[in-house]
Amino acid sequence: MLRKVKLYSLSTCPVCKKVKEFLSDNNVEYETIEVDILDGGEQWVALKELKKINPQETFPTVVVEKAIVGFDEENLKKVLEI
Amino acid sequence: MDLNRIYENLKKYAHMRGIELNKDREFVLDLIRGLLRNEERYGYRSCPCRLASGDKEKDKDIICPCLYSEEDIREYGRCYCGLYVSKDFNEGKIPMVFVPERRQKK
Repeated sequence: MLRKVKLYSLSTCPVCKKVKEFLSDNNVEYETIEVDILDGGEQWVALKELKKINPQETFPTVVVEKAIVGFDEENLKKVLEI
Repeated sequence: MDLNRIYENLKKYAHMRGIELNKDREFVLDLIRGLLRNEERYGYRSCPCRLASGDKEKDKDIICPCLYSEEDIREYGRCYCGLYVSKDFNEGKIPMVFVPERRQKK
């Protein structure tokens, strides 16, 4: 199963820092999007993306993308919590 | 101004309001660093856990202590970012729950 982890965070937020530590401690590879230090255009795009999954646009938000290739019933059930 | 002096000032302020600073001192110092960072770049101490717009007028509700802190402390024992807390929270009588964002999206 393919997986991508994204963390939307703020550079000033200690709770975001705790999530980073948690992910690193558990050897989870993740991309950090430090929204407050992005410039105007990039920030707008990042917020638009974040809003799709977290309409309140709050931080931290961890987004886990999983790709299941083919009809892999077992993994589909697991991921979709069926 | 040095971090510890600000810590002491905020502690006095909290006691005046009948609340306390989070007992996790390192966490509070991190929050204060965040507040100072926002003061440095925006000119006002915007909440470290909310994205500021850079427009003081638009963000006056999230200038620390934020407009929502009183209600959040009453309901959850702590403010959104966890800087200000109730006595019960510091005594471990209140479970650590996620404080939902009260601020309405503009």
